[in-house]
Amino acid sequence: VKEYYIFYLLLITGVFGVFLSLDLFFFYFFYEMAVIPMYPLIGIWGSDVKEAGEVRFTKEYATMKLTIYLTLGAVVALIGLLWLYVASGANSFDIPALQRHFDAAPLDPSLQRWIFPLLAVGFGVIAPIWPLHSWSPIGHAAAPSAVSMLHAGVLMKLGSYAIIRVAMGLLPAGAQAWLPWLAALCVMNIIYGGFVAMAQKDLKLIIGYSSSSHMGYVLLGIACLTPLALNGAVLLMFAHGLMTALAFALVGHVYDETHTRYLPDLGGLAHQAPFIATCGVIAAMASSGLPGFANFVAELLIFIGGWERYPVPVICGVFGVVITAVYMLRLVRGAFFGPPKPAFAHAQDARSAFARLPYVVLVAVLLVVGCWPQPLIRLIDASARPLIERIAR
Amino acid sequence: MDWAVLSVELTACAWILVLLIADLAMPTARERPLWIIALGGIAACAIALWRAPTSGSFQGLVVADAFGATVKGLLLLTAGVVILMTRAAQRQLPSNLGAFFLLLFTALLGMLVLAAIGDLLMLFLGLELLTFSLYIMAAYLTTDRRAIEAGMKYLILGSVSSGFLVFGIALLYGFAGSTHFSVLRAALASGPVPLTAQAGFLLILAGLGFKVAAVPFHLWVPDVYEGAPTPVVALLSVGSKMAGVVALARVLDEVFLPLEPMWGELLAVLSAATMCYGNLAAIPQTNIKRLLGYSSIGHAGYLLMGLSAGPSGLPAVGYYLLAYLLSNLTAFLVVLVVAEALGSDALEDYRGLSQRSGFVAAALFIALLSLAGVPPLAGFVGKLFVLLAAVESQRLWLVAIGAVNVAISLYYYLMVVKRMYLERPRAGGAIRVAPLTAALLGLLVLGILVIGVVQEPFLRHFAAALRL
Repeated sequence: VKEYYIFYLLLITGVFGVFLSLDLFFFYFFYEMAVIPMYPLIGIWGSDVKEAGEVRFTKEYATMKLTIYLTLGAVVALIGLLWLYVASGANSFDIPALQRHFDAAPLDPSLQRWIFPLLAVGFGVIAPIWPLHSWSPIGHAAAPSAVSMLHAGVLMKLGSYAIIRVAMGLLPAGAQAWLPWLAALCVMNIIYGGFVAMAQKDLKLIIGYSSSSHMGYVLLGIACLTPLALNGAVLLMFAHGLMTALAFALVGHVYDETHTRYLPDLGGLAHQAPFIATCGVIAAMASSGLPGFANFVAELLIFIGGWERYPVPVICGVFGVVITAVYMLRLVRGAFFGPPKPAFAHAQDARSAFARLPYVVLVAVLLVVGCWPQPLIRLIDASARPLIERIAR
Repeated sequence: MDWAVLSVELTACAWILVLLIADLAMPTARERPLWIIALGGIAACAIALWRAPTSGSFQGLVVADAFGATVKGLLLLTAGVVILMTRAAQRQLPSNLGAFFLLLFTALLGMLVLAAIGDLLMLFLGLELLTFSLYIMAAYLTTDRRAIEAGMKYLILGSVSSGFLVFGIALLYGFAGSTHFSVLRAALASGPVPLTAQAGFLLILAGLGFKVAAVPFHLWVPDVYEGAPTPVVALLSVGSKMAGVVALARVLDEVFLPLEPMWGELLAVLSAATMCYGNLAAIPQTNIKRLLGYSSIGHAGYLLMGLSAGPSGLPAVGYYLLAYLLSNLTAFLVVLVVAEALGSDALEDYRGLSQRSGFVAAALFIALLSLAGVPPLAGFVGKLFVLLAAVESQRLWLVAIGAVNVAISLYYYLMVVKRMYLERPRAGGAIRVAPLTAALLGLLVLGILVIGVVQEPFLRHFAAALRL
């Protein structure tokens, strides 16, 4: 267990390092550092994904797939970063210095169009862009709950953050040339991810696919290149992080109590665990973007901001909300409602205040930001607007 | 004549005699403190190195410069670690340690010469001294079939490559009338290069390609790695490769620089082939020493990538060598400890190693991740600098291949990690590590971490040593 916390802290170090670094070298350094601890975390402390008593895939498979996908993505991004470094001639990995350098002497647009896809695809693997997303749901499903929470809640945002900060910030012309393609891909994320989530029977797989579906909205918001949509994308990164962490925590609790995540086996847990069931309903509502939750604000901003630019993807995205509602409600119904099952008579609720605290905090922040998003959006807007203006120039 | 230039080599020579006398004078029990005498020799060489001049040359045959001195320091470090490794190798090196240390010092002498060559003849001498010692050391266990096979294979393929090398030197001598680097370089720069000289260059490249285990001269690697005693393999994979790379770097950048457009491309192609072959062939291996053998072929590819960038890539190559040295020595030390405890190098026997000895498993974990190039470990920085050098020389295709190979290599390194951490051990029993070995292992792992996190002083040292 000591080792578990060592790797967990390494993972957190890597994640924070990426968000804090203003230097391409350290950006990549921490990015890789965040990927590798996932391997032992899932491989040692994870669980095989079983359906109807049969192993669908093992944790070894899931963790190896995750590590190889993310490393391949990282090295593709590394090629882009090194190319960018050499092409800039600024002899610096410092992002602000590079930006100033490019303001004075813009990089050749045709070169930008070469480098941008390397960065977008490389970092996009972790975002995860369709069709490179398949590592993510199975990785979530096999990981221990705490790792799933951190992974879906924070780690996956590294990809979209990197695209905003590095790819768009340093390669405006490349961004303009390629982002329409990104918009097309993220429609696939939203719709395809949603449909696949509908078909799943493992609770964690449902939430895993829903994450890749929701990250489609984030990428759509990025691709729109309007300040409003970008604000929405960043806000959704935040909101989805909370919502999905809540969902994984709930699934973790259900799994601890019932030792199964297989939807047909579950049911009626609202009788034994009313608090958990309530939180589950709240998570489902937040996930499907009901007004009052932060997700609603974020998705609305993306749709409004994106309407002028890409009406068709936005329409598809709105349709995706319906799909989300379908699978989330199906999950809630299957796990929490229905007649109580005798096999789970011993199941416990989260009893003590200490055990309930994480859920309460997550729900409270979702609600507060959903009802009063102004301060957060102002904060996001302060850095998002200059970025869009730089690209539009 | 400037004898001071040769002070390190002469000290090593003298210590060969000391060892010979000590071996004769001491009784023939295994517990004799011969290893302390050998370590004393390394210390004496290190002192000589510290006091040696960093400029000048011995009649142009052997040169003294800061780069050579740095490499010599690393070679001495490698030899020292190998000597300490023999302490743990009770089973693999049961007797005749006196002769073993003797051969180790002759090999070291060869490597030291290779690090400072200024003449093609010295290249040949150093190389032969090194490989001949290694032939005998590879077949050290005369009762073990695999060791004999390893020594035999190494001898035959090594002799062929030496033949190539001599023939190449002869052709170049015929072209320029001298084997001095400076004369050769002037001749190459002054006018059109005839076909014979180009052929001479290719033959020398083949001879050195054998030493660094580059495709297509790699055939000996897996068998020798599997059959030879582990301390010998450690010396072979780290010291011998380092000496080969440095000799290659000197030949390329001090003699054949006028031909850089030609060999730059050639080396890049060789590098790509070497990386892909080594890393892909490592995947199905079931023996850890074979696996590390193929992985060392893969690393030769990265080193060639750095060399293909010309003189500006040399600091990256130096850093890579340093990282490779620490990571690979750690890996082989663990392999040795495990083989001594379990009597096997099969990957199957690494199952559940973390439960039998957490420390040993963690050391191998870190060493393998460093070899794969994961931050914040040494290998990552080495790979990054080498890739950067390749980008700077405008070979993006090579960078792409190198980057993809990082992921491939991570796969098979993680398969070892998976066995150690994710699977249950077949037989119980904790593995005990002697305090000396544990301390050495700890220091090596610490080195991997330090070099991964603190890059600047080392890189600056290499850049300054190369006067860039």
